[in-house]
Amino acid sequence: MTSRSRRSSLFAALPLLAAAALPLTAASAADLKSYDSSKPSFWAHPPPDWFLGDETDAQKGLAPPVGPATPTPAAELQNDLKLIKLPPGFKIEIYASGIPEARQMAWGANGTLFVGSFNATNVYAVTDEEGKRSVKTILKGLNMPTGIAYRDGALYVIAINKLLRYDNAEASLDKMPEPVVVYDDMPPYVAHGWKYLVTDKNGWVYIPFGPPFNIGIPPTSVSQIRHVDLKTGLAETVALGVRNSVGGAIDPRTGDYWFSENARDWLSDDTPSDKLNHVTRLGEHFGYPYCHQGDIPDPKFAMGHKCSEFTPPVVNLGAHVAPLGMKFYTGSQFPAEYQNNIFIAEHGSWNRHTYQGGRIERVIVDPDGKNAKQEVFASGWITGQRDYFGRPDDILEAPDGSLLVSDDWAGAIYRISYSK
Amino acid sequence: MRRTILLLAAIASLPAGFALAAADVAAGQEKARTCVGCHGETGVSPNPGIPSLAGQQDQFIQWQLVFFRSGRRPNPLMVPIVAGLTDEDVRNLGAYYHSLPYNTTILDSKPDAALAAKGKAIAAQHGCANCHTDTFRGERAAAAIADQREDYLVKALTDYRSAARPSVGVAAMTEAAAGLTDDEIVAVAHYLATFEPPRE
Repeated sequence: MTSRSRRSSLFAALPLLAAAALPLTAASAADLKSYDSSKPSFWAHPPPDWFLGDETDAQKGLAPPVGPATPTPAAELQNDLKLIKLPPGFKIEIYASGIPEARQMAWGANGTLFVGSFNATNVYAVTDEEGKRSVKTILKGLNMPTGIAYRDGALYVIAINKLLRYDNAEASLDKMPEPVVVYDDMPPYVAHGWKYLVTDKNGWVYIPFGPPFNIGIPPTSVSQIRHVDLKTGLAETVALGVRNSVGGAIDPRTGDYWFSENARDWLSDDTPSDKLNHVTRLGEHFGYPYCHQGDIPDPKFAMGHKCSEFTPPVVNLGAHVAPLGMKFYTGSQFPAEYQNNIFIAEHGSWNRHTYQGGRIERVIVDPDGKNAKQEVFASGWITGQRDYFGRPDDILEAPDGSLLVSDDWAGAIYRISYSK
Repeated sequence: MRRTILLLAAIASLPAGFALAAADVAAGQEKARTCVGCHGETGVSPNPGIPSLAGQQDQFIQWQLVFFRSGRRPNPLMVPIVAGLTDEDVRNLGAYYHSLPYNTTILDSKPDAALAAKGKAIAAQHGCANCHTDTFRGERAAAAIADQREDYLVKALTDYRSAARPSVGVAAMTEAAAGLTDDEIVAVAHYLATFEPPRE
């Protein structure tokens, strides 16, 4: 109830007569807040409480931190990397720097590394000529092009509500072609509207749709994951009851889709936990907004639902760790026990008094989601109670079996490699 | 070349995680010679519609320069002026303006207690202090807004409301301003432009 203190005082200011005349059920409904998504204005300006939630005075100031305006200079970043802790035999180095707000990465068939960005509006290409890497901005002015994918010669970019295809991309780095819109049946809001793309061998692309607020009853078109047939643009609902997912991967053992999910904010520093989920049948419900981390009914929005109605997470990753991009490891460079393990880039906290996450997590799990174990693989990006020198946001395996990690805070990509 | 080697050696001997004091205030001051005509000799603006920059948050200044440089904040005066700035110039300018003494006098506003009280209530309702702090001097990328020019504050809030300028913090300002009426903007701007921190 402490989190309601501010609200209570607001209600106290209402004309007493009106408050007294309300039947109990109407008062509870008002307490739940309702969002009218039937008008265009909702989609232009969704409620701002996705970051300014039901915070108490004790939580004041826990706003999303803003990173440096310019990418961290390479010499400084080199020095920062001394802080990173890895298991024996592994090392981390800068793969490329000077990439403002670097997000999802994808390889072109001829070795071009494509990189999306958060607010920078850019898509980059990192090319390597005999070990000398250069970074080129190939697309500008896109609306949060966080998610990218490469398939059959084309670069796919998702910019909030448009899935765009750039044909013959690797041969067109100097002048990208006009894009073809593959799919745009998506709402235009920015809040939790940035996305991540995962393609499978059948030519589907998996796209998450976050709700435009922290917690609430979502409009029916969001809080879900769809997959879209890249050839026809036909879409199906893959998962329901999903809050903010900005990462996923196909299990090479089964072809199943797995995804990371950021849990609601403003409940407390230590709950609820962020999740790793596994989809085993189309349309299963993962609990949002009724149930969190598999076992916490939402204090306001459970509305009689029980957690047992929903698919539980494979593993709870911790509160406010912010799991984003993830990949199954299929390379031969790392020791054999890493085969088919999941690496998850954790972006780290904002809505917590002491940040956690800001690291790479390793999850070892059976193809059916059983016997999950997790451990920290790489850590050290958090430099103080509430400070970062970098924030990992995506993972990609390189052809030699090393692991690339993108960082949208330092504006860089790292390479983690192993040798005996 | 020798300087580079020395520099790299110096960097290598630093403790890990130590943020290099890369920014050069003097170099920033040199670069800022173009700015004084509009933003004022001491960074306190005498010009309507032009913000004071003295004592502004370093990171906020840097972000605005980056926004102008990329054209995402499409101000016809600023875009060509900052077009040629390097990342290093951006960091130096942020450090220079942050180093100048903050203006605490009321600029070009006639204090109106009733209007300020209305603005104060609106600022509380919208949680302005959550990012801009209780003194409204800002923190990190959240701008210092206390005792800024009133006409400029009206312009800034109006621009955020219409998304004519981008916001740091994942559109925090765009959304904070989205629900404000013209009258509310005038009141908040007046409250901040005439802001007096509570005495200890």
